[in-house]
Parts: sequence; C-alpha cells; structure tokens
Amino acid sequence: MFIDINCTQEKKYNQNAFGDYFISKRRPGRLIAVLSDGLGSGIKANILSTMTATMLLRFIEAQRNIKAACETILNSLPVCQVRQISYSTFSALDCKDDGDVRIVEEGNPQFIWMKKNGEVIEPECKIINSKTFSNRHMKIYHIKLELGDRLIFCSDGVTQAGLGGNNLKLGLRRKGLIDVIKNKLKHQPDISSRELSKYIVEYAKYIDNKQAKDDISACVVHFAKLRKLCIFTGPPYHAEKDSEYAKIFDEFEGKKAICGGTTANLISRELNREIITESPFNTGKLPACSSMEGVNLITEGILTLSLAYEYLKDEESIDEINAATRLMNLLLDNDYILFMVGAQLNQAHYDPNLPIEIEIRKNVIKKMKKVLEEKYTKRVEIQYM
Amino acid sequence: MGKIEVEICMGTTCFIMGGEGLQELASILQRKYPNKVDTKGIVCHGLCNTDCQYSKAPYVKVDGEVISEATIDKVLTVVNKKLGEEA
Repeated sequence: MFIDINCTQEKKYNQNAFGDYFISKRRPGRLIAVLSDGLGSGIKANILSTMTATMLLRFIEAQRNIKAACETILNSLPVCQVRQISYSTFSALDCKDDGDVRIVEEGNPQFIWMKKNGEVIEPECKIINSKTFSNRHMKIYHIKLELGDRLIFCSDGVTQAGLGGNNLKLGLRRKGLIDVIKNKLKHQPDISSRELSKYIVEYAKYIDNKQAKDDISACVVHFAKLRKLCIFTGPPYHAEKDSEYAKIFDEFEGKKAICGGTTANLISRELNREIITESPFNTGKLPACSSMEGVNLITEGILTLSLAYEYLKDEESIDEINAATRLMNLLLDNDYILFMVGAQLNQAHYDPNLPIEIEIRKNVIKKMKKVLEEKYTKRVEIQYM
Repeated sequence: MGKIEVEICMGTTCFIMGGEGLQELASILQRKYPNKVDTKGIVCHGLCNTDCQYSKAPYVKVDGEVISEATIDKVLTVVNKKLGEEA
C-alpha cells in the first residue's frame, strides 16, 4: 500500500502570491504534511502560512509526536494586531505506512474521511485548549485508514466558494464539498490524488464565476495500492545484455515508458513488437511520441527528459501537450518509479558541431530523482546496466 | 503503383541537427503529391551512431535510400526523381 498525496492551490484573483502553503515530507515508514492558511491574502498571508507550515513540519519531524509539535505552535502563534486573531490556521497530518494516522486541526475546515464506496466517516476528536490564548483550541484525531480510503483537507477558500452567490448563499460548505467528491468518485473511483485535488480547486473556482475570491487549497491523501512505473532509457553498456534488459522491461509489473529512439528500437527488436510513430505534425519543440504494444509511452530521449525535468522543477501548469508533458503526467500519476538507465553513451551526442548542449543522461535522471522525491514525495530508484 | 515511403528520423541527434524543421515535410509532401507519398517519423534510424565522426545528421530515408544532412529540398529532389522514374 502507498500514500498518494497531492495538493492543488489557486491564489486569490487579485494577488501575486499564494496565501495558503502546503508542505509534505516522506520519511522512512511515514509521511508528514501540513496545510496552512495565512491571515488575509497576498504576500503577508504567504509569509505567515509558509512560516507556520515549515516550522510545524520540522517540529513534527524532530519530535516524532504531532500533538506536542502542534501544541508548541498553538501556544506561540502571534496574534494579528489589527484583527486580534491568530496569524494562521493549519491542518497537520502524520501518516504511517500501515494506515495509522494522526491529524491535528486548528482553524481550518474539518477534513473529510471518505471510504472507497463514498461513505463518510466522522471520527471522534480530542480538543486541546491553548494555555496562552483562551480563544484557541486544536482538534486531535487518531484514525486507522484502510485500502482505498481518502482524506481531503482544504482551506476555507473551498468551503466558502460561491458564498453570497445566487445558487449557494452560504457557499459550498463541507456538505457541498462531500457531494462534489462523491459524485466525482462515482465516475472515477480510482482517480489520483493529483487529479482529485485539481478537480476540487477547479470546481471551487467555477462556482465563483471562474474567479478565486480567496486563496483556494485542496489536499487529497489516498491510501492506495502502489502504482508502479518503469522508465527505460539508453541501451546497456554491453550489447550482450540487451536481451536481459528487454526481459526486465517485459516482466515489470506496472506502467512502462521508453525514453530514447535507440532504446525503443532495442526493445522492439528483442520483444519482436512493432513501433508505431504518431503523426510528426505539430509536436512543438520535441519529437513526436510513439507507441508499442504493452508500453504506455515512447518518447525521444535526452531532450524530452530534460524538458520534463524543467516542468517538474518549476511546477507551473503547462497547457501545451507534448512528449515532455505526457511524460511528466505519467511520472506524477505513479508512486514508485524505477529508472532503468542503460550506460552506453551515444557518441553522436558529443559532437562539438551539435547546436545545443546535451546533458548527460545520468545527470538528468539523478536530478529528476531528487525533484520527484523531495517535491512530489515519490519513491524513486535508479538502476544502471 | 505503391506509395513512396519517406521516413524522418526523430532521434535526438537528427532532431536537433535539423529534424525539427523536417517535420513540415509531412504536410508539404501531402500537398504536393496527394496519395503518392507516405511520410512518417521513425524513433531512430541508428545512423548517427555508426556515422558519428562525420556528423551527417539529420537522416531521412526515401524508400530505403538514405539521405544524409537532409533538408526539405534534398528530400523533395529525391522524391521527385523517384516519382519521375516510376511514372
């Protein structure tokens, strides 16, 4: 089993900075995440939520006890001089690989625990009052997740979306959000956390006339079956290993991608499967993708990998559909990624006459591993052959 | 008469040595010789690896005949010639 976690955010329509902040970290056997909503919006809110979430995550990580870590923040968060309320709200989560989860909430909308069949469970919580601020308290939950369960956290930008409008005078509210999620799961029961969180944010924006009236964040945690992906790139250093390389590819259980023309030809030859290239029209700055029976994606090698890495690093939403965005989507929709890197060098890539600098494959894969692990909490392995 | 097969190499070396521009061949050939030429991309002809010292990418094959340092004009000339031969 695997914890698939993702958060999608949208900033308030007239602001340049996000007022909500989400951070997560995978440690051996556990996953820690914090979603914080800073007071107000824009830069001020951004600083407040970033500080709260970052500090809280470090405290939880260091103390190994979410209650003590959150209590420290609860008792020390400053009060806004103008509004006389605390700087920021937060939801913190400490999730073990076996489904044992502790959640602490202060001020954010109550999270939703949804079973695979759409049933919502309302768990009991313990309320802890702040020792220093009488109007502050936090809720602590201790629950046990089962395969297929989902947890949905959000900022009030979601539950208050549509507020004052003609259809939803009181906004979407938690109940409305539950209906929206249930409906989506009815049609897409296996939807990834990334897609579901994106859908919630888009929905909240949509009911506010496609304009975010507040900072909107939706974080989805899915206790799911491990989704595996292997990416084969580059031919093995010794040609006699070709058949072994292709055999590993064939026997891998999960999704499969090939990045590189020579690698695709090698697999095609060894497995006796035909490569069909998609139309070379309108593929933008990258060569067209191809397909092969039993393979989810075939792309060109180093240019596509390098661009996919840039997209992952910058984390901007990209409208263009090209080989790199398709590769990025495949990476983000899987939890365990195996890079099988053939160590043979393509001499032609070192020709000084080439008009652009080509990165060394090994380096790009190493950088990709780092960003996938640190930014997207994926489990990544690299094997060389 | 069978269609003439034009295969554009879409490997890294060919793509950056001019293959990107060769993608237009598909629409040019379709316009110029409708139903006579079949244009497709190939993941890699593997020629740059054997020929790398002389850097003759990009490569295009027209009915199996290799065109090195291919340009749209070069490919059109070969296709023209082949169509002329077959006519």
